[in-house]
Amino acid sequence: MLRKSHFNIRKFIYDTFDKDAAKVVFEREGIWDCTTCSACLKKCPKGVDTTGIVMGLRGLMVEDGRIPPPIRDALKSIAIHKNPWKISAEERSRWAEGLHVKNISEGGDILYYVGCTPAYDARLQKVARAIVEILNRAGVDFGILGNEEGCCGSEIRRMGDVWTFEYLAEENIEIFKKYNVKKIVTTSPHCYNTFKNEYKGAEFEVQHYTELIASLIEEGRLSFTRQIDKTVTYHDPCFLGKQNGVFDPPRKVLTSIPGIKLVEMDRARERSLCCEGGGGRMWVESEDSEDRLAKIRVGEAMDVGAQILATSCPFCLLTLEDVVKTGDLEESIKVMDIAELVKEAL
Amino acid sequence: METAEIRIGVYICHCGINIASTVDVDSVRDSISKLPNVIVSRDFKYMCSDPGQELVIKDIKEKGLNRIVVASCSPRMHEPTFRMTIQQAGLNPYCLEMANIREQCSWVHEDREYATEKAVKLVSAAVAKASLLEPLEEKEVEVRPEALVIGGGIAGIQASLDIADAGFKVYLVEREPSIGGHMAQLDKTFPTLDCSACILTPRMVEVERHPNIELLSYSEVIDVSGYIGNFHVKVRKKPRYIKMDKCTGCGMCAEACIMKGRIISEFDVGMGKRSVPYIPFPYAVPSKYTMDSENCLFITKGKCGKSPACKDACSSDAVDFEQKEEIVELDVGTIVVATGFDLFDAKEKPEYGYGLYDNVLSGLEFERLVSSSGPTQGKIIIGGKEPKNVVFVQCVGSRDKSVGNEYCSRVCCMYTAKQAHLVHEKLPDAKLTVFYMDIRAFGKGYEEFYDRVREEGVRYIRGNVSEIIKKGDRLLVMAEDTLLGEPVDIEADLVVLATGIVPRRDVKEVANLLKISQSPDGFFLEGHPKMRPVDTATDGIYLAGCAQGPKDIPDTVAQAKGAASSAMTKMARGKVKVEVTTASVDTFVCRGCGRCVEVCEYGAPNLEEVEPGILVSQINDSICKGCGACSVACPSGAISMKHFKNEQILSQIEAVI
Amino acid sequence: MSEEFEPNIVGFACNWCSYAGADLAGTSRMKYPPNIRIIRVMCSGRVSPAFILKAFQMGADGVLVTGCHPGDCHYIAGNLKCEKTMGTTRKLIDVLGIGEERLRLEWVSASEGSKFADVVTDFTNRIRGLGPLSGKSQG
Repeated sequence: MLRKSHFNIRKFIYDTFDKDAAKVVFEREGIWDCTTCSACLKKCPKGVDTTGIVMGLRGLMVEDGRIPPPIRDALKSIAIHKNPWKISAEERSRWAEGLHVKNISEGGDILYYVGCTPAYDARLQKVARAIVEILNRAGVDFGILGNEEGCCGSEIRRMGDVWTFEYLAEENIEIFKKYNVKKIVTTSPHCYNTFKNEYKGAEFEVQHYTELIASLIEEGRLSFTRQIDKTVTYHDPCFLGKQNGVFDPPRKVLTSIPGIKLVEMDRARERSLCCEGGGGRMWVESEDSEDRLAKIRVGEAMDVGAQILATSCPFCLLTLEDVVKTGDLEESIKVMDIAELVKEAL
Repeated sequence: METAEIRIGVYICHCGINIASTVDVDSVRDSISKLPNVIVSRDFKYMCSDPGQELVIKDIKEKGLNRIVVASCSPRMHEPTFRMTIQQAGLNPYCLEMANIREQCSWVHEDREYATEKAVKLVSAAVAKASLLEPLEEKEVEVRPEALVIGGGIAGIQASLDIADAGFKVYLVEREPSIGGHMAQLDKTFPTLDCSACILTPRMVEVERHPNIELLSYSEVIDVSGYIGNFHVKVRKKPRYIKMDKCTGCGMCAEACIMKGRIISEFDVGMGKRSVPYIPFPYAVPSKYTMDSENCLFITKGKCGKSPACKDACSSDAVDFEQKEEIVELDVGTIVVATGFDLFDAKEKPEYGYGLYDNVLSGLEFERLVSSSGPTQGKIIIGGKEPKNVVFVQCVGSRDKSVGNEYCSRVCCMYTAKQAHLVHEKLPDAKLTVFYMDIRAFGKGYEEFYDRVREEGVRYIRGNVSEIIKKGDRLLVMAEDTLLGEPVDIEADLVVLATGIVPRRDVKEVANLLKISQSPDGFFLEGHPKMRPVDTATDGIYLAGCAQGPKDIPDTVAQAKGAASSAMTKMARGKVKVEVTTASVDTFVCRGCGRCVEVCEYGAPNLEEVEPGILVSQINDSICKGCGACSVACPSGAISMKHFKNEQILSQIEAVI
Repeated sequence: MSEEFEPNIVGFACNWCSYAGADLAGTSRMKYPPNIRIIRVMCSGRVSPAFILKAFQMGADGVLVTGCHPGDCHYIAGNLKCEKTMGTTRKLIDVLGIGEERLRLEWVSASEGSKFADVVTDFTNRIRGLGPLSGKSQG
């Protein structure tokens, strides 16, 4: 982050040794610049919980009401609408209209947890719809929570509002228990990560949808009828890849689609470059758009000759696609979710 | 045991004021004097002083005392002292019991009344046990004048030579076809820049020529049993498919091999190629060829052309595809473990791109590259060109919790400085940068060398490299200069990772084989971190070199000499005292169930058929370590632990409450 | 002495780790309640259920057994054997109505003087909280 902003986690840590942490964080710029991608955490030779410290310090800001307006609005929206996008909870299941999908109250082996962004964002709704169609095609017995689904709290926790996160987690666990949910599949690596690692007392299995599709292909429950003759590269989302070690299933899905030629960027797998969509960064505009990592990333994809930059995270999809749109690159490269590619090849 | 009257003398130490300021010594003395069998109860300023010991000796002689209780500091401190004292007065040293009223009473409590009450109880328990103590005979076993040294790196070589020079027979077992170990792969050594081969080769040749050393190369220890003085060892000699007595080392077989230049050379860590019959490096000892059975077409497929070219090429008829492995059995008195280390696999740090980019090398690969015996004859050429910009990265796999290695590898700072110097020497115009966390230049002449390298123009930047990515055909090394708090990007043609030292892959199996322990870092555990740095918890087995923990060559040689000396001490005397506080079996009570055999980690108990159909446990005193597990496990109560018998401990419990 | 109940606690410590740890607590001048009296054994694996029962019979209100950490045993695995034995002993004393919480097994290394002091302090407070072992015979 040092390259782009004043944010230097070490300075915060050193200062809190002899100063009141609140004082340090109030005086210093940059605390909202961290994307919580955890690249530093994974590398730290001394095991310092850098991401945890960032979240803790942001917590002090939230407690004191010192929050950037867009983040304040997102937090408020979650409290009111159970999503950060300021849209009514009553409209949450609109995306599924016309699709053959049942409510989990009617039973099902798997709960497909859609997530806020895929539920409300027009671009991401396509991904959610694609996932439903894929699961139907494979004959998976699953259901959704409909309007009862609420925010997982992952981003809110990273924005420092631990209290609301804990409230949401408790409430969600209650809902999952009510419908006897044993297995959850998520669209977003962010929901996946928080369910898997941050929900205390949870008694369910969590999968990212790429893991489920990979196993469906392996079991022979999904087969492809159409070719996609494209060169594709895959961008590893931080919350799926470096934070949870899910590297192979997305690649397995891509390589089993007929026609796709998978090429790897230099920064692949653990070495992946963050798109800057995490840690609440979807709600604060980066000031120096020249240096956006997403832009560098799209450039890297084009360098390896990819026609399609595939990813498996709603935030990555939005940040990367934004670069393509604003940079007038639509002729050269297309950003797609893996689910969309799978659906297209069915 | 004779049923003579028990006459106990109790001595309560003031330890200056260490005990006396918290414990009312007079009151303890008086309470204890009333206990049965206590003939004298005294207090004294310093029991461990000469007058203190004299007092005990005088009382034993004059008052006919036959059991002594000293209430003072921890028995871990002065038990040996007072055992010697009473021995001087003619008592068996095991007729002593100590009460720890300093470390476990006066120093940890503040209330005088409570501390005094507790001291009385502790001394009473000691008196109770003393009444039941039995004299024990100290035993000695013979120590065979032969040693086994496992591992033929510089540690094993040095230990073997020292032991052999002292006149003892040494069996040196080396897994690889040649001795020499990692040191043979190095180019120059820091800080003196001696050529590694130049100082190592003479020692290797000495090993080969030494009349007292029997070298078992390309061999592995597969079983160790017995105990100090009498270890029984099985060694597997792997087939070389080449007759050692016939091979002249001429190399015609390697020349002829149809796989020539197609097999990765282990010695050159993948940077050079070799044939199926190979000699790891030119100055190998023994200078005999070995057939790489895994890659030999004739061995794996049964067919190699019309007939194996190597066999046809050998003019001394040394190639022998019929060779089988051989198990050699050895009896030795002592063992030196010098099994060395493995290099950290830098692929575990994906951010550095090792294994991804050809111009990111491990420290050892760079040694081979820069060595005149290496694949490029010492020319620093990477991707066909001389690098203009070289970056060194320190602490790769060391001091790093994220890969589970918290320790410092102790050689990387200095080998990096040396490597930077070597590049500077060969490519004076190259720009050299070292990224580091801290520089540890602790040895003799090390800091001076580090200063010299910096003065030569090597730039040291404090900060861990965050990532290395491709930029054209160069590498972009990205980091933060943490002293300036600024990002640094360096374009490099070559990156050398200072890969650290890790325990051998099979360290666990070797630990089990030898029944020695590992410390949390995975290396073998020494007897005591300060006072017994070359011993293990198993008598007669000693440690040398990186098997015990990362160290540089001088420290390795010093430890090897220490291990050799420890082994020699036992062999020179020819006898060794064995544990006397062992378990013994009451053969009338034993019903031969074998629980003791199951529970013993050392194989001390054995069921023996004393009469047809009647099994009775026998415990080998020389093997028993005296832990007492068998005594607890024995369902019939037939096993008792000398000096820690049930009735002795029960009497302590009774007295202490 | 105070009116408060002062329990009798018997401690067993292995020579190599825990007894040395207790010594270190002493050399470091750490403080802990004086209720515990330690009996040294070579290995925690030497501690027989008979010793535990004897201690309770003689009037102990609690028994603390300490040994080397798993993997550190001087006799390879005596501590693990002890753990097994203590498991069954704990059940036994529970059946006898003594209460399994009166027997505790802890791993204390030679370098853990402060842990030793903490363990003893905590255990003493626990036993003090439990009160005297009812029906005890005065030793």
